[in-house]
Amino acid sequence: MDRQTIEELLPFYALDALTDEERELVEAYLREHPEARRQVDEMRKAASVLPQSASPVEPSPRTKAALLARVAVDEGSRVSNDVGRGAHERPRAARWVNIFQAFGLGAATVAILWAVVLNVQLSYLREQVATLNQALVAQSNALEQINQQLAQPPASETVTISLKGTDIQPRARGQLIADPKNNSAVLVISGLDQLEAGKTYQVWLIDASGAKSAGLLSVDTKGQAVLIVTSDATIGSFRSLGISVEPEGGSQQPTGEIVVLSDL
Amino acid sequence: MRINNESNLLPSRDSTTPEQLSDEILAARVARGDSAALEALYDRHASAVLGVLLKVIGERATAEDALQETFWRVWKSASTYESARGSFTGWLFRIARNLAIDAFRRMNVRPQTLSSPDDVDALSDRTSAPDADVPAQAQADFRNRQVRSALASLPKVQRQVIELAYFYGMTRQEIAEATGEALGTIHTRARLGLQKLREELEREEFEG
Repeated sequence: MDRQTIEELLPFYALDALTDEERELVEAYLREHPEARRQVDEMRKAASVLPQSASPVEPSPRTKAALLARVAVDEGSRVSNDVGRGAHERPRAARWVNIFQAFGLGAATVAILWAVVLNVQLSYLREQVATLNQALVAQSNALEQINQQLAQPPASETVTISLKGTDIQPRARGQLIADPKNNSAVLVISGLDQLEAGKTYQVWLIDASGAKSAGLLSVDTKGQAVLIVTSDATIGSFRSLGISVEPEGGSQQPTGEIVVLSDL
Repeated sequence: MRINNESNLLPSRDSTTPEQLSDEILAARVARGDSAALEALYDRHASAVLGVLLKVIGERATAEDALQETFWRVWKSASTYESARGSFTGWLFRIARNLAIDAFRRMNVRPQTLSSPDDVDALSDRTSAPDADVPAQAQADFRNRQVRSALASLPKVQRQVIELAYFYGMTRQEIAEATGEALGTIHTRARLGLQKLREELEREEFEG
C-alpha cells in the first residue's frame, strides 16, 4: 500500500473504523512517521468527544440492580477461592480460618445456585438460538433483496419516510426507504405486537381510489419486520401507507384494525 | 504506567468517599475487587453510556442490556486499563461503542444517520435522573451542548461520514456503498470533518 493510500486511512484510524489489516498497516506507518502520528493524535482528540454528542439517558434501576447482583455473585466466588488458599497458608490462625470457611461455604452455596441458574439460562438460550436460526432463514431472502437494492447506485431522490403506530399499537414505528419514482421500496418496522394464530399483518398503499395490498409482513419474536414493498404504480403516486391485521393469507381490502398509518 | 498505588495521590482513604475520587483511582480500586468503586463509576457514567448505546442501537431494552454488559466488562477487565494510555472515559466508551456496534450489526437495520443526516438533535429530549449531582450534571450538559454545536457546524455529508464510522463501526468501503459516493469522496469528508470538528471545539474552548 503506497503512502497516499495509508494517509487516506488516518481519519478512519482516528475514528477506530478500520479493518484489522488496515489498522496494522497504519500503526506500522505511524511508527516511522512522527508527523503523521501528530496528525492522528489531533484527529483522535476530536473523535474522542463524539460520545458526548449523545444526550444522557437515565437507565432503569433494574439494570443497576442486575449488574450489582452479578458482581456480588462474582465477589462471592472470589472470596471462596481466596479462603481456600488462605486456610492452607495460615494454619495457626484457626479461629479466622473457621470464620472464613463458614463464609466460604456460604459463597460456595451461592456459586452452586448461580451455576443452576446458568444452566437454566443455557437451556433457554439454546431454544432461543433455534428460534432465531429459523427466523434468520426466513429473513435471509428479504435481506438479500435489500442488499441488492443498496448495491444499486442510489438515486438522488431517495427519501426516508417515518412511520408511526396508531393508538391501537402506539409502540410501532418504522421507516419506508423509497425513490418516489420507483415501484418498490424497503419497509423496516419494529414494535409490532405478536398476533394470535390465524392472523397476519398486511401492508397497504393508499391513493384516491382506495387501498392496494403491498404484501404481508412476517414479524419476528421481537416485533420486527422487513419487507420489500412492491406496487404496479410508483410509490410517489400514493398518499399513505397503512398496516392492518388481517386473516391469514391476507385480504383484498383492509378489514381489520389499522395498526400503522402514515402519510407518504 | 498502571495505577496500582493511590496513596500518594489522595487524602487518606478513611476521609474520602468513592464519589469524591477520580475515575482513574476508582478504576484502580475496581481492579482490586472493590464493588463500591464500580458502583460509583456506574452512578457517574451510566446515563452518558446509555445515551451512546441508545443512539446506535435505537432500542431501549437492548441498550440497557449492553449497558449492564459494559460495566460488567469494566468489573472483569479493570486490571487491563492503563491510565497512561488514555482517560478512563475513553476506555469505557470504547467498550460501550464496541458492544453497541455488535448489537447494531445483529439487528440488521440501517443507521439512523443514513436516513436523517441532519438530525443531530434527535435525542435531545431525553431526561436525566432527578437526583443527579446538579453541578456535575450542568457541566456535562454544557459539554454536551458544545459537542453538539460543533458537530452541527459541520456540513451534513461530513458529519454523516464521521457518525457512520464512529458510532456504527462502518468501514470506509461500507460507507461508500451505503451513501453511493466514491471512496475518495468519503476519505475527503472524513478528514475535513475531523479537522473542522477540532477547530470548532477549539473555538468553543471545549474542555473534555
